[in-house]
Amino acid sequence: MIPNPLQPRAYVAYLALAALLLLPIATQSPFVIHLAIQVCVFAALASAWNIVGGFAGQLSLGHAVYYGIGSYAAGLLVLHFGISPWVGMFAGVGVSALVALVIAYPTLRLRGPFFSLASIAFLEVARLLVNHEEAWTHGAGGLNVPLQIGLKWMIFREKWAYLLVAFGFLMVVLWICRAIRHSRFGYYLIAVREREDAARAIGINPVRVKIAAAVISACLTSLIGSFHGMYLTFIEPSSAFSLELSIQIAMFALIGGLGTVAGPVLGTVVVLPIAELARGWLSAFGNGTHGFVYGVVLVAVVLFFPRGLVGQLGGRVTQWIDKLPDFARARRVTVASLPTAVRATASAGEPILKVDKIEKRFGGLKATDKVSLTLHEGEILGVIGPNGAGKTTVFNQLSGFLRPDGGTVTIRDAAGHWSAPRSPEGFARAGVGRTFQIVQPFAGLTVLENLLLGAFMRTKGRDEAEALARSVAELTELTPLLDTEARSLTVGGMKRLEIARALATSPRVLLLDEVLAGLNPADVARAIVMIRRIRDSGVSVLMIEHLMQATMALSDRIVVIHLGKVLKEGLPAEVANDVEVIQAYLGKGYTHAQGS
Amino acid sequence: MSLLLQLVANGLLLGGAFAIISIGLTLIFGVVRVVNFAHGEFLMVGMYVAWLCASRLGLHPYAAVPIVVVFLFVMGAAMQRYVIQSLLSADAHIQVFATVGISTALLNLALLMFGADIRKVEFAFGNQNLSIGSLTFVSGQVITFVVAIVVAFAMHFYLTRTYTGRAFRALAQNRTAAALMGVDVNKTYVFAFGIGAALVGIASCLLTLQYPVFPTVGTYFVLTAFVIVVLGGMGSLPGAVIGSMFIGLIDSLAGFYVGPDLKEVVYFVIFLVILIVRPTGLFGLGRGSE
Repeated sequence: MIPNPLQPRAYVAYLALAALLLLPIATQSPFVIHLAIQVCVFAALASAWNIVGGFAGQLSLGHAVYYGIGSYAAGLLVLHFGISPWVGMFAGVGVSALVALVIAYPTLRLRGPFFSLASIAFLEVARLLVNHEEAWTHGAGGLNVPLQIGLKWMIFREKWAYLLVAFGFLMVVLWICRAIRHSRFGYYLIAVREREDAARAIGINPVRVKIAAAVISACLTSLIGSFHGMYLTFIEPSSAFSLELSIQIAMFALIGGLGTVAGPVLGTVVVLPIAELARGWLSAFGNGTHGFVYGVVLVAVVLFFPRGLVGQLGGRVTQWIDKLPDFARARRVTVASLPTAVRATASAGEPILKVDKIEKRFGGLKATDKVSLTLHEGEILGVIGPNGAGKTTVFNQLSGFLRPDGGTVTIRDAAGHWSAPRSPEGFARAGVGRTFQIVQPFAGLTVLENLLLGAFMRTKGRDEAEALARSVAELTELTPLLDTEARSLTVGGMKRLEIARALATSPRVLLLDEVLAGLNPADVARAIVMIRRIRDSGVSVLMIEHLMQATMALSDRIVVIHLGKVLKEGLPAEVANDVEVIQAYLGKGYTHAQGS
Repeated sequence: MSLLLQLVANGLLLGGAFAIISIGLTLIFGVVRVVNFAHGEFLMVGMYVAWLCASRLGLHPYAAVPIVVVFLFVMGAAMQRYVIQSLLSADAHIQVFATVGISTALLNLALLMFGADIRKVEFAFGNQNLSIGSLTFVSGQVITFVVAIVVAFAMHFYLTRTYTGRAFRALAQNRTAAALMGVDVNKTYVFAFGIGAALVGIASCLLTLQYPVFPTVGTYFVLTAFVIVVLGGMGSLPGAVIGSMFIGLIDSLAGFYVGPDLKEVVYFVIFLVILIVRPTGLFGLGRGSE
């Protein structure tokens, strides 16, 4: 898990970090060392914040809550019980984790500014309560940390000793951030941030993922808070639980680049010293100088490079770094792709998905009225019906995105047991893969990463997932595009990616929602071949489609839905010539006209 | 009993002050769909301008209303034109950072220019004590309340009876469709932002008489305004007025019965419960916060 120091990207990072530690010590100037300590502390805070604000995309402006809890926990335990902050900080971590759980769970579904507002409100409540509980928090007056010097008390005579500790904390936080970024969990966070629905369709539980991120971030923030409290030796509610601090933390991460590992550190290194120096130089003008600098820099960054330093320049810089000599190249191995597994089809023809009299009402409208259908293993079942017939509503109930008001949807697993999942991720785990009518790629990720996200569900490690992803790409003709960003694919490519990502979850049932719509004739022909190939690999397919010729050619059976009910079920030829079906599509006038 | 009545009256009068601030905030959110975290600093700037008018020109804050309103209209319009406009299609978090950045810059600019001292204006008019039966009021509070009600009704008529008002509402519902109907989106947004800020200008003149002026004064009021606007439903005018009265009452009653240092805890908790349980606001108006 520790980056190999022989690779260029790794050794450049190591050198840069070493400079952050050694250069200030070399100057022996207490001011420079103090600056370096502040940089380490704020870089660590910004990196911890980035787990929630960047990776999970939830803009917390109340992160000082955890900083405050950390400071107070360590401070109070030293003061009242003589417990070393090295122990006390873990008490803070425990409390912060609990508080994060309490805050995260109810605020999960709030978006953008409303999440920020809620986080500010929690911060205010915490500050007011600390002010109020004077008996043990010392109230608004704050508390002084006893000046017992020594490693045990995290209080040193020499500034450079603080810098060593601060740097150590920064390393721990960075290592965790890097591990998250490259792990399955990190990809899940990005997926949930980008498109929650698509993430659920590939088996990710957004609630669990977001809460985990909130708790990890809170614990790290609390740790840094404990250290910083010991460094400042004075803790008061108005600065420990301050909105200003919360904004600063988030700001450094934004300036460096949200959702990147290097961003928050870079943002802090660039902006914090400027603001501190401005405070020194312009102190004649009064307070507020550094705050003014922060505000102006923040607006400028948002206007001129909203993706932050790393987002804007990162690509060019990494290219340049990659040109440096790589001492580890010889030892790198490429992952061979697995051959496409052909599954046992002993149970072909048996029911695999049963829909029994499902009903769904939206107010007075019966969108689904006692629809029953059965999908058999190894078949392609086409679902057709005029616009507004309720096909997509049925579809959403088959994949857990809507809960039927009545009736059941059950699916048979590989061992032959029937289950009735209740959530989209439950359906995905039970073996139902789905696509969306309006494509939902994780636009900022590459095609390979999109597929990896699907593949993670049923694989153990990244290598295994990558092998599965590559074999799916082969099946869906995406291999040449694996390293392309999903946002730059063509419509046809996006639709194939949509199918491929569902396939990467190794589904037993694949639900396709209008995957042929909007394709050019050549792409339609390719898609038809591909869907057959998918079926032949052992996946049962249920498809909604408007393109009648293609549906007739592909489907083994067809179900016609009209006005929320099953109008007709049968072989393609039977359905195509059915009077009722023709009436549903073309109205009674048409049949009268034909008859006369 | 008379104590309770007095507390209720105080609460409603305080609600009047909250209302003018909240109407501006909810208007900006309703039309431009941007949560303006710098709203409190608009108020602070307005109060400083009113204080300057009073201390340098000897103008009564009520007489300074036109100056402050124009000043804040220009400031709000400029903020929309030069900052928010280019971020309209950006992610929500970018917009949050933009307004937070402006808020931080303005707050610290005030600290730079005026220091952290607390400034006050001294005028007799607006500070007389009135009494009705056993109830006592300060005249400025009553004036603020009356102005708030007048502004709310004026805003309501403006939104329902004028072309620009209808354009605001059309934009609030669907930006693209409004543009197709010939509404000049950018111009209307600039105007809406300006009006939202101008309303805060009125509020700041009224409040300068009753509250001291200092750089972080806006933060105190704006957090309350956010509570009110979420409570009443973001973007809803009646919601903002009713929410203001409600929070005013809670402020007054909780301040007495729960404790002055915990009254804010009470309404922040209410705020969180509303956000979590009923994100569309208490009155089911406005759009959700999800």
